Amino acid sequence: MKANLLFILSLIALTSICDTVNQTFLKSTINSLNFTFSWNLIKLFKFIFKIILTPLVWVGAFFSLASLCIWLFVLSRADLSFAFSADSMHYIFIALSSQLILKEKVGLQRWLGILLIIGGIVFVSLG
Amino acid sequence: MLKKRVTLKILFLLVASDILETAIHFFFKKSAATQADFSVVDLPSVFFFLKAVFSSPFLWMGLALVLIVFIVWSTILSKIDLSVAVPIASFSYILVPLASIFFLHEKVTFLRWLGIFFILLGVVFVSLSTHERQA
Repeated sequence: MKANLLFILSLIALTSICDTVNQTFLKSTINSLNFTFSWNLIKLFKFIFKIILTPLVWVGAFFSLASLCIWLFVLSRADLSFAFSADSMHYIFIALSSQLILKEKVGLQRWLGILLIIGGIVFVSLG
Repeated sequence: MLKKRVTLKILFLLVASDILETAIHFFFKKSAATQADFSVVDLPSVFFFLKAVFSSPFLWMGLALVLIVFIVWSTILSKIDLSVAVPIASFSYILVPLASIFFLHEKVTFLRWLGIFFILLGVVFVSLSTHERQA
């Protein structure tokens, strides 16, 4: 039972990491385009077109698809109430990649929130 | 500029996105649950598993809702800040376990509810701190 729980938790971590890779690639692509939002439809279409034409975005989409497949496997084995709560660990990976790869500042309050999420996941897993 | 005013229309959209989000995971669970006894041991069995799950209408209903939620969520974010929207939208962390109890007959222990409460609090903390950066 314990080994099974660890296996499912690591699969959930894997989906969260795949999602994080997708989000990070998308965000770094958008950052590099230096786009400021406007309702100008031509500009908007150009922006979306540029995103779609970026290979990194396609790699991200592949990770997103992988995440869905792993997630479906997790759901075939685990309670939804458990899996959905534990999936909140993507906040941790997003914070890490935001700081390390995207060079964003992650403040104290955010790390405190992440600590609360980790504590919550531990309780959810034990429950 | 911070956009904080949550009008009735935005609140309605937020509640709708919560309910739709819950429905997505309910449908995904429904499509996957039929394959609970399927043992995935090698690459061909992975494909058999995915083929079975992807041929479930529940899965495609879930995916259709993903698209709708994306549109609803984009509309919400064009009107209010992420730091305001996320805490209200995190209501799905409560709705999903409730749906699991009522529709999937799962048991949610007190300890699990306590964990969910901590996660919810953590999500609020994480999203509220976006103020620091925009200020």
